[in-house]
Amino acid sequence: MKKIFSIFSLLVLLIMDFAAFAQTQRFPRPEFESGYTQPITSMPEPRAGIFALVDVLLLIAALSLITWFIHKKRSRTGVIITSLFSILYFGFLREGCVCSVGSVQNVVLALFNPGYHIPLSALAFFVIPLVYTLFFGRTFCAGVCPLGAVQDVFLLRPVSLKKWLQKVLGLIPWIYLGLAILYAATGTDFIICRYDPFVGIFRFNATFFMFAIGAAFLLISVFIARPYCRFLCPYGVILNLVSRVSKKHLSITPASCIQCKLCENSCPLDAINKPVEVKQMEDKRSATRRFILLGMIIPALMIIGAWVVSNFHENLAMVNSKVRLANELLHFDSNTMKESLEIEGFRTSGKTKEELYLESAAILKQFYYGSWMLGAFIGLVFGLSLAGLTIYRYREDYEPDKGECVSCARCLKYCPVEK
Amino acid sequence: MNNKFKLRKTNQFLWRNIAIVAGTFSFIICMLVLVNYIQINRIDPVNTELINSLVQRLEENPNDNQLREQIREMDLLVRKAYFTNQWQVKAGGYLLLLGVIVTAIALQMFYAGKQKLPEVTESEQENIVLFKEKARKWIGLGGFGLVAITLLIAFLTHKELGNQFTQAALVAQSTPEETSDNVEVIEPVKEVAKEESVEKEEPVVEKTAEVVKKEEPKNQETIVAEKKQEVAEKKEPEVKKEAPVKKVADNASYPTKEMMANFPAFRGAGGQGVSYQKNIPTDWDGASGKNVLWKVQVPIHAYNSPVIWGDKLFLSGANATQREVYCYDRNNGKLLWTAKVEGIAGSPAKSPEVTPDTGHAASTVTTDGKSIFAIFANGDIIALDFNGKQKWAKNLGVPDNHYGHSSSLLVYQDKLIVQYDHKKDAKVLALSTANGDELWSTKRKVRVSWSSPVIAQIGENTELILAADPCVASYDVNTGKELWKLDCITGEVGPSVTVGNGIVYALNEYASLVAIKPGANPEVLWEAYDYLSDVPSPVISGDNLIIVTSYGAVVCYDAKSGEISWEQEFGSGFYASPIVANGNVYLLDRDGVMHIFKADKEYQEIAAPALGEKSDMTPAFADGRVYIRGEKHLYCIGK
Repeated sequence: MKKIFSIFSLLVLLIMDFAAFAQTQRFPRPEFESGYTQPITSMPEPRAGIFALVDVLLLIAALSLITWFIHKKRSRTGVIITSLFSILYFGFLREGCVCSVGSVQNVVLALFNPGYHIPLSALAFFVIPLVYTLFFGRTFCAGVCPLGAVQDVFLLRPVSLKKWLQKVLGLIPWIYLGLAILYAATGTDFIICRYDPFVGIFRFNATFFMFAIGAAFLLISVFIARPYCRFLCPYGVILNLVSRVSKKHLSITPASCIQCKLCENSCPLDAINKPVEVKQMEDKRSATRRFILLGMIIPALMIIGAWVVSNFHENLAMVNSKVRLANELLHFDSNTMKESLEIEGFRTSGKTKEELYLESAAILKQFYYGSWMLGAFIGLVFGLSLAGLTIYRYREDYEPDKGECVSCARCLKYCPVEK
Repeated sequence: MNNKFKLRKTNQFLWRNIAIVAGTFSFIICMLVLVNYIQINRIDPVNTELINSLVQRLEENPNDNQLREQIREMDLLVRKAYFTNQWQVKAGGYLLLLGVIVTAIALQMFYAGKQKLPEVTESEQENIVLFKEKARKWIGLGGFGLVAITLLIAFLTHKELGNQFTQAALVAQSTPEETSDNVEVIEPVKEVAKEESVEKEEPVVEKTAEVVKKEEPKNQETIVAEKKQEVAEKKEPEVKKEAPVKKVADNASYPTKEMMANFPAFRGAGGQGVSYQKNIPTDWDGASGKNVLWKVQVPIHAYNSPVIWGDKLFLSGANATQREVYCYDRNNGKLLWTAKVEGIAGSPAKSPEVTPDTGHAASTVTTDGKSIFAIFANGDIIALDFNGKQKWAKNLGVPDNHYGHSSSLLVYQDKLIVQYDHKKDAKVLALSTANGDELWSTKRKVRVSWSSPVIAQIGENTELILAADPCVASYDVNTGKELWKLDCITGEVGPSVTVGNGIVYALNEYASLVAIKPGANPEVLWEAYDYLSDVPSPVISGDNLIIVTSYGAVVCYDAKSGEISWEQEFGSGFYASPIVANGNVYLLDRDGVMHIFKADKEYQEIAAPALGEKSDMTPAFADGRVYIRGEKHLYCIGK
């Protein structure tokens, strides 16, 4: 366990942008004339396995508690309390790591790289919220995820976005998920962690750029509920899918809907499906024809997507540090150019150019095939979204959208129906 | 708990004011943190303008302790300011967090108090058909946009990187030293050099030598050499100025008769290690004064060797604060004049750090019969007429050389050739002997070297040949254009090359002795590893190549086959280079004993006269005379 955790900690250390840490390292050592000897640089001890277990147990406890608050007590206050706990513990205390959102990458890396042993805590953080979602809907998003909770705290004047815009923006997390999988599978980077807008705030060490991004998300959160969760979070789309088939999802009314319409505007995420009357629906024949047509072009969209992204694979591969270094080395002319730190580092590493070029060529090949899959995946998402937008479902009651609803429990108090 | 909607009564006035105060506080803190952050990023505490200027002043006045203390105090102050700024950012971050939390709570409470009972809006219901249609449209448009942008970027930036990497790997594989030449190895050695740790560098050099050994099969070497040549042809060196074209020059023989009649440079005319003088004495004794015609003390010690033109003998001396050129009457040892080298524009206030065994004037002066040219470790170069009057002088920039600059000067027609292989900007340049103007300058992709240039007639060409890690390179002496280059030498190259029978011989300790067939496709004819030198240069006489080591071994190779004809061990080591004169080799050991032996297939000692004074300098020759610069004195030997 300790070994696993140390590997994980090292990986996280490599991936994360420790701006302040780097700043300290950059500061040159003073030269003492008094005979003072410099202490040897040592790495901090990895987090003890017992604490990783504590994290997992607290995750389970928080999930159980919030699920109980939502499903049994139907209490928004309970959700707020759990949210505050999550922000404090999973956010500020645990500094946003390990988190379920980033754990997607650990799982992917473990699947594609047999040499990588996934830490059990990372696996638990990936699986446990999925299991809870499968049974109770997205209660994890409601207040256990510190990223969602911190946005929720800032929500003051919710503004409703146009439905069509939400649908379009809702495709972004799929693309982000695809990219995160590609980069994790090729061992390039954990981009979800690197570009996590809140982790730098939790750690008080954000770079200026990441702090600005995080602050912008929080400011947007004042008016638009959970912009990161809805339009960026890659783990959210997985939970969205799982939640659609959840066994016991949150319901607005504890009994039967009386069509009072009081809850109609209560959801800041616009995740309440309103009743659909038959007269609103499109002509069944033309809708069916469109559905079949769009269904048929899905393979074409996948092929187009795959071809397009495969052409883009060199650009995608440039994120990989080895490929970037090899490319830099390829165009490096020591006569006219100043040697970069990366080239200097490579030169002193003792590795040959041949090895670097061969490795980079192999990575590019991985990206080439990965890009075909990523493109096909994006094409599939676009195709299914288009086809899904031709389906009309007759609905009588006000129901939460099981995929989109994050079970924040705001709507519950609007329902006048007693159990 | 009660889940039913109920209105909370909060003190809206209070919460609003708290929100305003906390919000304003947060905003101010945020701005302060931002300003601090920008400040931290702008200031480099170890590189401030003020301290740098003070340090520069201190360098000019190293004994100014008050200034030293002032710098220390300022340095401490700047460092303190840096860390205080860091602390302020951190503390500001906590304050900001606190402010934001209070603001958020106050705002939540304020808006909770403003909550109204839910209303049932009678607005028209959303048209689901329209919404889906619009969503389809925008998803379609978004998809097209994404495809278009992606393809545009892809086609604009497409580089066939995979193929490029594979080809680059193949090139790197077929030219293994490519990885360790200009880019890979120069820097580490630079670092080692900075620390002036020769010991540490030795393993590196040994390793490189091993690599060379492994490359023994000649076919592969030829391939590598050809590839190198191809690369060399592709990348022509930067020639700053084309020298004035003089057709006569190309076919004129070198060295000229005038030069051969004198001893105008380090290792004689053209730097080839040959003296054309006759009746060279073989018998003297410094202690008893036997055959010592005169002996004078040289004002300032240096490691450069004497040169001769007519009746005059020239040499230079320097220390950290003084640089001088001396002219002696070679017939009687009278110091005719001393030229002080000072007040040169661009000359640094402080001489660079040099090691005691190199000194500030290791480069031997040279003459064209009209002027004397001298260069020093600080980059000062001067031309003096035969009366000691300055003709021109300039500073070439302080050479970044961890032992000290030691490459000697050479004159070709109207060009003064300067090999300037230092860390920052290795180059070879030709200055006008008349006015010091740069006639051409060619960048060199080499490490620091201490060897000297050699000019030799090879076929119809007059070539300027230089040795420095990693190559032996030849240049058109008129234009500076690189004629050929062969990567075959590594380490801290001290010995210069020698040329005989159209073959170039180069060596360095921990590398190898290489016989190179020059030309557009230079070829390694043979290599040997047994006896190598780090200071003395080799010399050739007929088919006999004489290699002298600094630890005392002298070896004669068959110049054509590379087979050892004889080897001889001497008690003392050698720093002076051997000179062939009158068919004999004159080799001065570090104790001042001149070993004179036949330049023949068999070792035959002629004599071993002692100077009675240690010496590391190469002697100069005139008819019937030998001139030796000892540790302190200058000697004239003759009958």
